[in-house]
Amino acid sequence: MALADTALERTDWDVAEQQIGLWQDAWQRFRRNRLAIVGAVIIVFLVLVAFLSPLLVGLHILQSPVKQNVEFIESGVGQNGFVLGSDELGRDTLARLMFGSQVSLAVGVLVQLIILPIGLAIGLAAGYWGGRVDNLLMRFTDIWWAFPDLLFVLVVVSVFQQRVGANVIADLLMIFGAIALVNWVALARLVRGQVLSIKEKEFIEAARSSGSAPLKLILKHLLPNSLGPIIVTLTFGIPQAIFLEAVLSFIGFGIQPPTPTWGQMVNSGYENIYANPSSVVFPALAIGFTLLAFSFLGDGLRDALDPRMKR
Amino acid sequence: MHLGSRVRAVALATAGVLIVACGTSTSTSEAKASPDKQILRVNDGTEPNSYDPGQETYTYEAAVGRNVFEPLLTPKSDLSDVQPAAASSYDVSSDGLTYTFHIRTNAKWSDGQPLTGQDFVYGWQRLLNPALAAGYVDPFFDQSVAGGQNYSNVDPTDTAAVDSFIQGLGLSAPDDHTFKVQLQHPAAYFKWVATLWVGAPIRKDIVEKAAGGSFPSTDATKAEMWAQSKDTVIGNGPYKISEIVSKDHVTLVPNSNYWGGSGTLQQIILYFIADGNTAFSKYQTGALDQINVPIADVTVVRGDSTLSKQAHLLPELTVFWMTYNTKRAPLDNPDVRMAFSKAIDRDKLVNDVEHGTDKAIESFFPRGMNGYDDSDKAQSFDPTAAKALLQKAGVTADQLNKLKLLTRNSTGNKTLNQFIVDQWNTNLGLNMQTDIIDSKTVTRNIRKGDFDIYGPDGWGADYPDQQDWADIFTSTSCHGLNFGCPTLAGYDDLVQKADTETDQAQRNKDYAAAQKILIDQAAVGFIFQQYEYDIWKPYVHLVQSPFDDEYLPGDQNYHSGYILQH
Amino acid sequence: MAVIAGRPTRGALLPPWLVAFSGTRGGSLAIFVARRVLWMIPVLFFVICITFVLMHLAPGSPWDKNGGRQLSQSVVNNLNIKYGLNKPLGVQFLYYLWNVAHFDFGLSYQYEGQTVYGLIASGLPYTATLGILAFLVIVPVGIGLGVLAALRQNSRVDYATMGFATVAASFPNFVVGALMVVLFSVLMYKWTGGSFYLPSADFGLDQHLIMPVITLALLPIAYTARLTRASTLEVIRQDFVRTAWAKGLSERLVVIKHILKNSLIPVVTTLGPTFAFLVTGSVITETIFNIPGIGRAFVTSIESYDYPMILGTTILFAFVIAVCNLVVDILYVFIDPRVRLT
Repeated sequence: MALADTALERTDWDVAEQQIGLWQDAWQRFRRNRLAIVGAVIIVFLVLVAFLSPLLVGLHILQSPVKQNVEFIESGVGQNGFVLGSDELGRDTLARLMFGSQVSLAVGVLVQLIILPIGLAIGLAAGYWGGRVDNLLMRFTDIWWAFPDLLFVLVVVSVFQQRVGANVIADLLMIFGAIALVNWVALARLVRGQVLSIKEKEFIEAARSSGSAPLKLILKHLLPNSLGPIIVTLTFGIPQAIFLEAVLSFIGFGIQPPTPTWGQMVNSGYENIYANPSSVVFPALAIGFTLLAFSFLGDGLRDALDPRMKR
Repeated sequence: MHLGSRVRAVALATAGVLIVACGTSTSTSEAKASPDKQILRVNDGTEPNSYDPGQETYTYEAAVGRNVFEPLLTPKSDLSDVQPAAASSYDVSSDGLTYTFHIRTNAKWSDGQPLTGQDFVYGWQRLLNPALAAGYVDPFFDQSVAGGQNYSNVDPTDTAAVDSFIQGLGLSAPDDHTFKVQLQHPAAYFKWVATLWVGAPIRKDIVEKAAGGSFPSTDATKAEMWAQSKDTVIGNGPYKISEIVSKDHVTLVPNSNYWGGSGTLQQIILYFIADGNTAFSKYQTGALDQINVPIADVTVVRGDSTLSKQAHLLPELTVFWMTYNTKRAPLDNPDVRMAFSKAIDRDKLVNDVEHGTDKAIESFFPRGMNGYDDSDKAQSFDPTAAKALLQKAGVTADQLNKLKLLTRNSTGNKTLNQFIVDQWNTNLGLNMQTDIIDSKTVTRNIRKGDFDIYGPDGWGADYPDQQDWADIFTSTSCHGLNFGCPTLAGYDDLVQKADTETDQAQRNKDYAAAQKILIDQAAVGFIFQQYEYDIWKPYVHLVQSPFDDEYLPGDQNYHSGYILQH
Repeated sequence: MAVIAGRPTRGALLPPWLVAFSGTRGGSLAIFVARRVLWMIPVLFFVICITFVLMHLAPGSPWDKNGGRQLSQSVVNNLNIKYGLNKPLGVQFLYYLWNVAHFDFGLSYQYEGQTVYGLIASGLPYTATLGILAFLVIVPVGIGLGVLAALRQNSRVDYATMGFATVAASFPNFVVGALMVVLFSVLMYKWTGGSFYLPSADFGLDQHLIMPVITLALLPIAYTARLTRASTLEVIRQDFVRTAWAKGLSERLVVIKHILKNSLIPVVTTLGPTFAFLVTGSVITETIFNIPGIGRAFVTSIESYDYPMILGTTILFAFVIAVCNLVVDILYVFIDPRVRLT
């Protein structure tokens, strides 16, 4: 799913010099985009679910996602007291879905948080210094680009998985890191493009001749103007990361049980597709709706933040 | 065979022998299908790494190897003894050190050449060649054949050393129809070694032709070239390979030169489908005739009126256990190990988690094999007793919670171990966790002794003799096969005595005593014996009997099978 | 990468005929292609390097079996000698590079005696056929849907196509594939008594291809459609399109000549990553539909620590992606008038 990034990168983002009113303007346009609002609502709902599920378990409204009931393996919807059925060890599917949102959101968001500094740093360096440095860094990103991302993640995960052992946090971070490492290129290229176009503006030349440090100036102009496209890039990166985690789990390399993740649930649901089809459908729907929500949100943000699109 | 992971989807669909009826309830007067319809399509699960019988170590490879090649002997249907195969008879010298096999005079290779004793000499010499690095050489051959004990000391790159090692082995063919083996020490189980598919005869002229001429004994690459094309894989078994499609399937057709005559089946197509769903869907759409039912679909098969009639539960000589690292406190204390062993509800495991496709076991030698004895109930499920043992040992929950259950990264293992950890947590009041990492690294860790508890660890019989089993837990097998390395007083001596003993009754007693030590000391925690849940179409007639040699790894007796009219 | 030229080429150090040659458009294109092709060599070198290092960082060894009898230490030692794994890593790496330069990709550890080249060569036709077929479906369907939606913006057609596209892009394609098998294969077999159904697995140049290609193509179609729509909308709004419209040319001419060409720019950009996606997508599809291609072989080679096979497939994938990116950049030259070659 690197498809969306390059299109964004190629789109010629016009660096608006007039920043005041952009955010209010953007908010107005965003508000009018119904799909984007729907997406935002779904995401807020997911966040709530992620935070509230432990509480619900504590209040005994929700079953524990890790409690096994082997007498009721692979129950269907509504059977044996399980609202959405149970999995291959008799654990409540609904509870696991809800707890799975924690991991999915974490994958989505944290991966972008890792990508942000890397992409920013490299893009800045390449754009600011230009010349040899730019060339070198762009060739470096070429190499990275040539690497099939699944391959790289698989190798990294299989290398580091045993060093991490049973430490859940470390396991998560390793997977996030691996996914981030294959997806930072788009952001770096975007930032570089932004820096290059800022550099060409006259006021930079003017500032340079008057002696103020161009780097500070570039940063001062870069961040507010580029924030829009950067946000959009990051937003589209989230469903990518979630999808990649699901694919990894499908092949068996993702985050390990008993931590529930949607990808894992799809993996075991896939094996039980004849016995209990709902066990694959529900987590797939969960992934699907989350990806949809972030896509709508991303579309909405892009439409809202792009100064050229007039409605 | 050591089984680190339960390769469920990969387990072979066995061609069982039903004494009573074929398939469902068809009468025995059902007509056979015409020869052009005598095609059997089965799922082998995984592509063989090699078609060279000497290099085959997995069941899915041996499935081909046992049909294309025939070793000297083969187990009897009831596994009580061996019966002739490529050798019509054999003699043992009075000191038990020399075995003389008489090769059948009418035995031929698939290209018409007669089978000679020299072919066996070459096959076994090649197998024992250090440069080939064949997996099954140790311990079957290098610790039985005279001269083989130097195997690990020979430098595989030194042609002179390799040559002299090979010439020094106790293998000879005094005439065309005799094959003689000298042993290092008397071994009552050697007749079983002679049934292994890796002991197949090999044609020297074919190997050399494929390699483009004779080659130094240190060139392993040339020694393997003959096994890469179906035209050069010439065997002496009832079938030969007619087609190999890489990663897809291999097709076997009858060997018209086989001494036992042609079977009815004209084609056997073994597919390499690893994905359970794919195999199951192909079976349901009539593209496969016989598969092993994926564990996830067992309830589907049972619940379907048509499919359930086509299903069969077949026993395997395979047992699984949990391995405790006895070099790490507090697992060095037998009471602690026994507590863990007694805290697993095996019935729940086999009936619920495994859907009744396995059977619980608390002893070592499996049902169906000489030596099975479940009278010692020391490891039975008893949470109260287990907790009492922990108290007696004086270990705290904190100490135990630090222990991790090392788990291979495969669906079956993950499910099983999550259940087991949950059992320990619930029944012993603990909070332990699984440590799931990729399979190769798990193997490396257990060989280094870098683990707390590991499972499910298992063994599948290479042949139905206790010797194949008991040797696992000797102290010399520590880090080799016996990863927990328990110190068991008296065990080594008992096993050594039984291995070299020639009186069968005495052997049985010695091995039984050894098993008791294993159970009572909780060297490992025995959990279940693996059965196989297969389905095959009602028009497939496969001769089947309980605990037949069909259930030994890789055994597929298609020779007596046929397709009914349908 | 093609970028807008900012400075003239450093002509002083080059022979005059080369400078003149580079002045022509054909000439500069040829030089551009030549430079990019040459550049692929160091890229591949680094890919090999990184893969090699990562592989050997993994602590397991190829001879540790996942199940079955473990090999004794003496056998393991002999195996290491046989495959040269007892030599220091640097030496192994150099040997490997030397062999690769002679197109010798080594022997597989997993499949004794078989060459990596042979294994890849036998699996490649399946993966390639599926990939190319999927691609041939993605381009017209994706672009067609996108243009259609843009031309009928905010109508029901627009919502329907974009709805489909977004939904298809959101649901994991392996789930879709698996559900298709259940529905169109097993259930249809049951309902029609075996007379009409899609085959559930395997490769064949017939209806066997339907479900795998759909599974592969679903996600890229969705993305291509959305992008095409967005860029087509951009183009439609531009002045020259309005002018053409006002001139009274038939709508079709307007669409084809102006809109399509300009809206293809972002779409061509995605074709490179689309190929990359097809490469990784092949892993999933080949597993579900039991197709003996190299996608699946790649995953099993990682699981079995089959070093030569891992390296071989990685090189192949990286090469294919690099070539695709090159082709995309060349296409850019023809499609985007703003682009000049450095």
